[in-house]
Amino acid sequence: MALLEVKNVTKSFPFEKGTIHVLEDVSLSVDLDEFVCIVGPSGCGKSTLLRVIAGLEHPDSGEILFHGKPYTTPSTAITIIFQLFGLLPWKTAIENVELPLEILGLDKDARRERAKAHIKMVGLEGFENAYPHDLSGGMKQRVGIARALSLHPEVLLMDEPFSSLDELTAKSLRSLVMEIWRDPALPTNSFLMVSHNVEEAVYMADRVVIMSARPGRIVGEVKVDIPRPRADYLRDELYFRRIDEVVGILQESNHKQVAAAAPSARP
Amino acid sequence: MNRRFLAFVGGFAGIAVAYFLAMRFVQNPEIHSLPYYTFRTLLRITLTLAISLVWGISFGILASTNKIASLILIPFIDLLQSIPILGYFPAVIVFLISMFRGSQLAIELSAMMLLFTSMAWAIFFGVVGAVKGIPTNVEESARTFGVSGYRYVRHVILPAITPAVVAGATLAWCDGWFFMIAAEYIEYAGTAYSVPGLGMYLAKASYVYNDLTLATVLLGLITALVLYINSLTWHTLMDRATRGTYKPVFRLDLSGVGQLGVVRNLGVRKWLHVGDRIHWPRSLAAASHRLRKYTRLEKAIAFALAMSIVVFGVAAVAKRLPDIDTIRKGFSDPPAGELAKLPMYVALTMGRLGIAYAISLVLALGMGILAAENKKFAAIFYPIYDIGQAVPILALFPILFGVLRGAFGPSVGLELTAIIVLVLDMIWYMFLNIVSAVKNIPSELNEVGRLFGLKGLRKVTHLVIPTILPAIVTGSILSWGTGWNTIIFSEYMPYESTQTGKPLAVAGLGSYLDRAGYEYGNTVLLIFLLGVIATIVLSMEGLVWRRLLRRFERYRMEA
Repeated sequence: MALLEVKNVTKSFPFEKGTIHVLEDVSLSVDLDEFVCIVGPSGCGKSTLLRVIAGLEHPDSGEILFHGKPYTTPSTAITIIFQLFGLLPWKTAIENVELPLEILGLDKDARRERAKAHIKMVGLEGFENAYPHDLSGGMKQRVGIARALSLHPEVLLMDEPFSSLDELTAKSLRSLVMEIWRDPALPTNSFLMVSHNVEEAVYMADRVVIMSARPGRIVGEVKVDIPRPRADYLRDELYFRRIDEVVGILQESNHKQVAAAAPSARP
Repeated sequence: MNRRFLAFVGGFAGIAVAYFLAMRFVQNPEIHSLPYYTFRTLLRITLTLAISLVWGISFGILASTNKIASLILIPFIDLLQSIPILGYFPAVIVFLISMFRGSQLAIELSAMMLLFTSMAWAIFFGVVGAVKGIPTNVEESARTFGVSGYRYVRHVILPAITPAVVAGATLAWCDGWFFMIAAEYIEYAGTAYSVPGLGMYLAKASYVYNDLTLATVLLGLITALVLYINSLTWHTLMDRATRGTYKPVFRLDLSGVGQLGVVRNLGVRKWLHVGDRIHWPRSLAAASHRLRKYTRLEKAIAFALAMSIVVFGVAAVAKRLPDIDTIRKGFSDPPAGELAKLPMYVALTMGRLGIAYAISLVLALGMGILAAENKKFAAIFYPIYDIGQAVPILALFPILFGVLRGAFGPSVGLELTAIIVLVLDMIWYMFLNIVSAVKNIPSELNEVGRLFGLKGLRKVTHLVIPTILPAIVTGSILSWGTGWNTIIFSEYMPYESTQTGKPLAVAGLGSYLDRAGYEYGNTVLLIFLLGVIATIVLSMEGLVWRRLLRRFERYRMEA
């Protein structure tokens, strides 16, 4: 039985004079110690799917199963890293990490220790008392990672975590995330990431799940069997082959949609 | 369309019925002039609004397109805006009455001047803000395609300023009603001067006829009238005007699809077209503009202009240029004798303002946060806000005083009335700013909060309040601005003189200023006291509000 299961989730939102069907009958699973990445174009509902999984939104139909039981409200077992970091601007880096720990019920010293340890783990030692507006994008995201991991969740969700960063910073953060994932000492080993960057997905994930847009549906899946550490395989033919597979599925589903929308356009 | 028509006809019928009933059943010699008074007041406000619009738009465009004009006008008007209008109103009265020998024209002019100054600055700054808000890429492309001069004004500036003008006009209209009662009935040196109108009638009802029932009826009629006109004209205009703007002009637009769904479904709301979209455009533009840093040159020019007006004013009254003698005389004539008590007066007035501010802040925070988060509370508080906004506070004053005087005696009654009226006055700005800020908390922060279990009181202290701190500061600036006007009005009740032969006052800066103006006609002292008030207002802006705003700006989420 998978650790996390998404079963036939459908979700729509009311919009001006109608409804937008964001997700349609989406099903996928994440096993223990797996790194799964969802790719799809903008607007395909990936972020909404993550929010449904995290318990921030409720699906119109279908359910989320965690350890086989329905998962409907946010808890510290599944945490998120956001695209735009989501740090409270009036709290320092370490205070941002400590806040959820305070809510969890840890006492002052325990909080501080754990927060410090995680800040060190993401490489921000020395910046504990900096405010978000003093930090660069990459540093803010590191704080976000520290915060999400300090709760010792079982599953870590990531919503396009590197999209707002420049490529160089994104590279170093990707390595950081891979290190954390691989680290057996850390309790969190099941990651679900959402991205629109195919290269990134193939580099990081065990499995790449492909979604189409409007409505969001799963249209395919590619198992990435490249050995780890993947950094050694970035010039390898296998890497590019997997990328092409993913892109192929994306394009095919795109063509199908265009064709379905305008059948009379064909000569 | 249909709904609007129904609202128009239905509301009009309702008000007509109310008027008819009032004229039929209220016993008062002047009651049959009620429609005429309504007409005069409406005419006065509308006329002044038209003048303010013309002035505000033309000078606003001038100030934002011409370097020299902006150097002179903007700091100067900013300075004028900081001074409570009711503070220099006595000076204006003294000036005009002596110039026109106390004729009707003098009072009419002074009423319109008062209304003009309350209206024009809002429109001016709205226009300036809107022109500055035109994105640079629009400006640049217009220039490269040869759109300049008059064409530029017509095709680029006018559409850009339309929402701000409509907003400013709505605001001006409301301010007109606010000041109307202070403007239409004045007691100066023991004589009553008035112009026909609703404000005059209301004042007379309270002070001359001592008829609280009549006063309450009038207040009800005024409120209904204001609500009716607001919902018809301004809300409609606002809807039309805010389409196709560069960015949400009104960060104070509270509605959203489905957010006020509960309110919208209440039948009454639908009918009156009220509370649906609260576009109350309180001048955020004006408030944030005040916090601009002016260069020394600009400050100097503003000061020079202000001084020249002062000199001119004193000269016109005293019939000669102010010299050392006039000034010395001013400072020795009564009530200059009380100058020693000035610090105490300042402390008392600031104390009243401070208490009222604290109360309104707490209430507004409670109401605002609840209303923004919970639809049920919103359904209760938004209509309260709408109606509370419509009641001209100064008009409420005589009625409230009449009631409290009966219970607590004149002095305590006046104190209590002053504080209550201040709270009612200050609270709406704060409420609106807070609700809008809570609704504008970035959704990501909300999600983070929910995810990590930030709930209830913790959420309020850790998430909500820090985010809305800048809005609280801007709300406070506006509240204090209107508070000064109210306190100057509230501390001094000349109308009592028709009863007891002596005007009633509580010790304070406002009453001191009023007495200097209305009882003794001591222009020099009056201007001096006005300078004191201006200094207090400006130093609060510089030392308190500006600093706070800068500190909290850091907390803003970068996009």
